[in-house]
Amino acid sequence: MSILANKDTRVVIQGGAAGVNAARRMAEFCYLIKRPLNVEAFVYPPDAGKTNEIPYGSGLIAIPVYKTIAEATKAHPTINTSLVYIGADRAMKGTMEALDDTHIKVVSMITEGVPEKDAKLLGAHARKLGKVFNGPSSIGIISAGACRLGVIGGAFDNLVLSKLYREGSFGVITKSGGLSNEIIWICSQFADGITTAIGIGGDAYPGTDYVSYLEMFENDPQTKAVVIVGEMGGDLEERAAEWYGAKKRRVKLIGVVSGFCQESLPKGMKFGHAGAKEGMKGEGSARSKSEALKKSGAIVPPTFGALGPAIKDTYQELLKSGQVKEPVEPAVLPRLPKSIEEAMKADEVMVAPLIRTTISDDRGDEPCYDGYPASELINKGYEIPHVIGLLWDKRLISKQEAEIIKRIMMLSADHGPCVSGAYATILAACAGIGLSQSVAAGLIMIGPRFGGAVTDAGRWFKYAVDNKMTVDDFLAYMKKNVGPVPGIGHRVKSLRNPDKRVKELVGYVKSLNIKTPCLDFALAVEQVTAVKKDNLILNVDGTMAAVLVDLGFPVDSLNGFFILSRTIGLIGHWVDQKRQDSRLIRLFDYLVNYAAPKRREVPPLK
Amino acid sequence: MAKVLEGPGMGLMKKWGIHVPNYVVVTSADELAKLGQANDWMKTAKLVVKAHEALGSRFKLGLVKVGLDLNGAVAAAKEMIGRQVGSITVKQVIVSEMIAHKEEYYCAVKSTREGSEVLIANCGGIEVESNWDRVKRLSLDVGQSPSAEALEKLSKDAGFSGGLTKKMAAFAAKMFTCFDNEDAQYLEVNPVVTRESDGELVALDAVTLLDGDAKFRHPDWNFQFAAEFGRAYSKDEMEVMAVDSKIKGSVKFIEIPGGDTAMLPAGGGASVYYSDAVVARGGKLANYAEYSGDPPDWAVEVLTEKVCSLPGIKNIIVGGAIANFTDVKKTFGGIINGFRKAKGDGKLKGVKIWVRRGGPREKEGLDAMRALKDEGFDINVFDRNTPLTDIVDKAMQK
Repeated sequence: MSILANKDTRVVIQGGAAGVNAARRMAEFCYLIKRPLNVEAFVYPPDAGKTNEIPYGSGLIAIPVYKTIAEATKAHPTINTSLVYIGADRAMKGTMEALDDTHIKVVSMITEGVPEKDAKLLGAHARKLGKVFNGPSSIGIISAGACRLGVIGGAFDNLVLSKLYREGSFGVITKSGGLSNEIIWICSQFADGITTAIGIGGDAYPGTDYVSYLEMFENDPQTKAVVIVGEMGGDLEERAAEWYGAKKRRVKLIGVVSGFCQESLPKGMKFGHAGAKEGMKGEGSARSKSEALKKSGAIVPPTFGALGPAIKDTYQELLKSGQVKEPVEPAVLPRLPKSIEEAMKADEVMVAPLIRTTISDDRGDEPCYDGYPASELINKGYEIPHVIGLLWDKRLISKQEAEIIKRIMMLSADHGPCVSGAYATILAACAGIGLSQSVAAGLIMIGPRFGGAVTDAGRWFKYAVDNKMTVDDFLAYMKKNVGPVPGIGHRVKSLRNPDKRVKELVGYVKSLNIKTPCLDFALAVEQVTAVKKDNLILNVDGTMAAVLVDLGFPVDSLNGFFILSRTIGLIGHWVDQKRQDSRLIRLFDYLVNYAAPKRREVPPLK
Repeated sequence: MAKVLEGPGMGLMKKWGIHVPNYVVVTSADELAKLGQANDWMKTAKLVVKAHEALGSRFKLGLVKVGLDLNGAVAAAKEMIGRQVGSITVKQVIVSEMIAHKEEYYCAVKSTREGSEVLIANCGGIEVESNWDRVKRLSLDVGQSPSAEALEKLSKDAGFSGGLTKKMAAFAAKMFTCFDNEDAQYLEVNPVVTRESDGELVALDAVTLLDGDAKFRHPDWNFQFAAEFGRAYSKDEMEVMAVDSKIKGSVKFIEIPGGDTAMLPAGGGASVYYSDAVVARGGKLANYAEYSGDPPDWAVEVLTEKVCSLPGIKNIIVGGAIANFTDVKKTFGGIINGFRKAKGDGKLKGVKIWVRRGGPREKEGLDAMRALKDEGFDINVFDRNTPLTDIVDKAMQK
């Protein structure tokens, strides 16, 4: 048996992230004791209508989130307990809502920093309704082998170490959350463990006091002794002593109180818990509490360290008198499934990777490009073209090659606002579209008619050079099998009005005295085509393509050089429009040739 | 509990209709002189000047001067402002008019478990403290306000008679209204006096303790809370408080000059047991500290640096129970960084560190602490199998 929380406890959690975390911890406990999750619902207005995913074993359970307690208990009428994880400024209202719901009998509040008056009002309201209001600042309630409310009990390993999977004989009541765990652990090591442990919270006026819970433990036949961990301040311990001394009690009471140090500290010093302060006239000191407990017949070890042996003595007595029997430990306990990361770390599973990369790795303290740390590349004088070489061709290119790439990029970075890409970006920018989408709009224009001929040009020039074709053979082949030669031809430029970018690039590459078979072939092709038609010149795409193939870049990467360089321009156009706060633009009617049929009557629908 | 100085305390009482003497709080004698020109009462009434700081025994320290005219008050203010008393510098004085009176009474409202209690006595000042049995009480449940009849009965029981019965009852009613509406935990007026000029009851001195947790619903609490133990907060204490106010979880730090055992324990509950253990073993605490609620590692690091900076320490107790959800590895990471910084700054020479802890990721956390040995720290690390405060016993034996 247990008190307050048992196998029939069904929970609604009021609150957001902290509440979800508590639910996860509660699911771990449910999994340990092989019972279904005891959390039925959440109440959290911002997420109402959604579900929270709570891991249970290796699976996930979707728990619905409601706007109000009433909605939650209507949909889940077995709910009888609420855990409050709402901020201090809203906790009172939410808790009242739970107390006023007829389904709910127990409300435990984890919220810290709740105004004293609110806590008192909630306590009084609960008492009037015959319900339990536990907290504020309560770490939770746990009944071994039956039910966990909140994060009390700690991590999964600690649940097992503290034998919380099965019932013991000791009840625990503490103000401190951390110490509740400590006492649970001590009870499991020096005795047979706990029945129920309750954190009542360290506030000055907790909603429920020791006496209410002592009364419940007294009526729980499984509980043979109760450990209370008190603190200076208030009079809860004195009241517990009064209760214990009033008449012969079935349960044994073991108590410790902290705050003896107060006697040698500056007066009025503030300790961790709001309730831990001495009264106005020396009442509520650790000494007076300790004395009161001793006088009532409770076992009061002199220090916290002596608590373990005191619990052990009590347990041995209980064993001797036959009131308790040595517990039988289960042969096998469920183990919490490991996450993939944990299992891999322990060499317990092998996972088939989903993707494979051969160029970069960011798992260390900085990215490595094809194995070279970025900072080292920087410090040794490498530049952007080298990074391109590493990531596109897995090759550390030479200084000379880098210079060529740099020039290619500088020449192709932008070509004014009128070309398809820039125009699309500007159009998007003026419509108020964001940077990445607007640039993407420009990039989408890159294709067979605009900027996208680099790869194809490279492919065919390379094909010709690899197959040692003559220009005539090549042109015949292209005419028959492909169509117009990619990289040849320009809309406005011609022999008489040459493209200066091409001239510049060709001039530089030729000046280097390197072998450029593709470029040479492309120029030879131009000689023939330009004679046929003035504007069938080697364009910038074709020039770039031929040079890059000569540098050894893979054909499939070639369009990348145009995309990359032109992105610089597209970003520039977007920022430019943004800076000018440009307005939405639309075409003028006079720019459209309206060739659609004249306005006419719509025939009746048949 | 948050203590409020006299000035803002009187302000709250005035807000709820309680008569208080005219008063001003000033930070310089010049300001007082200017105010004297602007306010008639300062020219006509006899004045009291008091240091407006969280100081006990102000009378003995010469920080209360009575029966002054404006010039005398300006001179007194000049003398008091800037005076150094222990760790406190007097930065403000409160100047109020003296109220001519004969009788002194007592009235207080305090928080109780059930709700509150109204206290009345028909004597005041020092007299009430030596005649505490003359204080009559009226207990009220939370949410309940005292009826006029109940307060009149209380007033009669306390020995008030004639017209004063109703006046005292009305005064107590206002005190309760102020208490209830301002989320007070303790309000005390001693003495309450009858002003000779008009026969009204006036609050001459106010002790005001408010519930700091209720600040969110009192936008007009524009004053700072005062330190509660008769001294100002130190720079390091205030720095930790500033961190505390910013984070999830909490870090707390209070210095106790003269001690040699530094405390760096986890948990509001366990920290006090650790302090008890030090005192029980005859040790002298150098501070109180505590971190809890899974605070970020950087906050614990700041706390650690402050603890390591305490003068003359021989031991540091890094204790803690078995945590529920505070990540031991993460919080210990903060402590370790703090230790390393302190060591780098030449601190921690000859200081022994004692560690005991359990909770989420306890093994990783404790292992990291153990590894500090290799960096030259004098550190002893224990896990959950060593009882909570045994590290204090071990430290004190050395």
